[in-house]
Amino acid sequence: MNDERPVVRSSGRPVVVWQPHATVDTLRERARLVGRVRSFFAERGVLEVDVPVLQGGANLDPSISPLAVAVHDGRRWLPTSPEHPLKRLVAAGYGDVWALHPAFRRGEFSHRHQPEFRMLEWYRCGWDDARLLTETVALLVALTGFGGGVEVLTWRAALIRHAGIDPVCASDEDWRQRLGDEATAVTIDGHLDHNLAADLVLANLVEPHLGRDGWTALTAYPARLAAQARIRDGVAARFELYRDGIELANGYHELGDGGELTARLTAEQAQRADAPDLDQRFLAAMDAGLPDCAGVAVGFDRVVMLALGLPAVSATMAFPWDRA
Amino acid sequence: MGSMNIGEVGKGTKLIFDNSPWQVLEVNFVKPGKGNAFYKLRVVNLLTRNTLEKTLRGGEKVDTADVTDVDMQFLYKDANGFVFMDQSSFEQMTIPAAVVGSASDFLLEQAECKATLWNGEPIVISLPNSVVMEIEYTEPAVKGDTQSRVMKEAKLKGTGALVQVPIFLAIGERIKINVESREYLGRADK
Repeated sequence: MNDERPVVRSSGRPVVVWQPHATVDTLRERARLVGRVRSFFAERGVLEVDVPVLQGGANLDPSISPLAVAVHDGRRWLPTSPEHPLKRLVAAGYGDVWALHPAFRRGEFSHRHQPEFRMLEWYRCGWDDARLLTETVALLVALTGFGGGVEVLTWRAALIRHAGIDPVCASDEDWRQRLGDEATAVTIDGHLDHNLAADLVLANLVEPHLGRDGWTALTAYPARLAAQARIRDGVAARFELYRDGIELANGYHELGDGGELTARLTAEQAQRADAPDLDQRFLAAMDAGLPDCAGVAVGFDRVVMLALGLPAVSATMAFPWDRA
Repeated sequence: MGSMNIGEVGKGTKLIFDNSPWQVLEVNFVKPGKGNAFYKLRVVNLLTRNTLEKTLRGGEKVDTADVTDVDMQFLYKDANGFVFMDQSSFEQMTIPAAVVGSASDFLLEQAECKATLWNGEPIVISLPNSVVMEIEYTEPAVKGDTQSRVMKEAKLKGTGALVQVPIFLAIGERIKINVESREYLGRADK
């Protein structure tokens, strides 16, 4: 749909940028941080693994759109995170594993999003979300050098404190007042959707305040935002870790019930217009039984951005999307 | 009128909101903690040049505007409006004075410009950022004072538009004018 005509050389080939985006100093620092990740996990006995980039089935996280690739015998799916193969290794009894893996998400563009990026993800057997949060902070402190302690805030308390709204009992008018003109984005057929409103208020009014004087972990998410986390005391047993208003990590006490997981993913799949394939090998592994474990995914490019004080994740990449 | 998924919208995409054509200047993606995704667009109205922030839900469909830019040459003015020639098809198009708007103050015969068409109908005429015009009339020049910030009115040849120029300029001089602000930029190179 973009009708801007590319500049064309006299040779007939378009004028393009071939040079890398990140500076060589940035890439040296990035490589050094990868080395620190490797030694962090080596010291702790977590096994580094390589997993496929072309998966047999799709990740089906809410509001994340995976990319399909046509291959000789049908189609495969680019991972939105390496969650499925890593959990299959855990289910197979391989113990604690980690990967720094390419991840792909359709249409995600901003100074803190790229459609292709690197996810640092690991799993700890016998751990819960609170224990994994402590280790996640330890790794991020080691990588960034940022201290300041950890503030733990429930999702609901964060909305009350920073947006002055209690999501459990807020009225349409309360949400409208917080959202102004943007209320139209969360109104469907004249009906203001409180879940959508809470998501947008969190992005607009809460996230910018998180992790300003240290690390902030949001916990106890509503059950609708559980993804693959287990439900504990009526809320999702998961955390997201923020620094300088930027979400860096997303951890779960993993749901171990294969039947429940299949139901969640099937429900998500049914909502998708493009009908992505269920990851049958992953579901079979979850049916066989996932040991009690906790897992976390860290946006590695964001960590590099933060550690080096860069303005955008693209600045940490040799070839971001528009130069790839 | 077509439509596309909001996820496919990028910088430069032309969309319809509230029955007007808008061009996307910036797209920002936000998605807090496994919640719904939102796209925050900054858009400019192609009719009024007003800019606006617009937030849409991930997964929404948006209507695309059939908007194209055509290189034109201005030929002459007649009773129906301004007559232009499409530089690629060499066809003539009459564009009403209301669409040409204040661009007419700096539109000389033979001048090249850009016409923006929406569904084939012209909606905007855009000139280069600056144009060279000749002074048809102004008060006599005040000699020697070329650093002066004191201004006087000058009438431009061809269009009769009035602009402010420094007092050292004289009739017949060629000057450069910023089209948007109507400011005097300097003497044109000979």
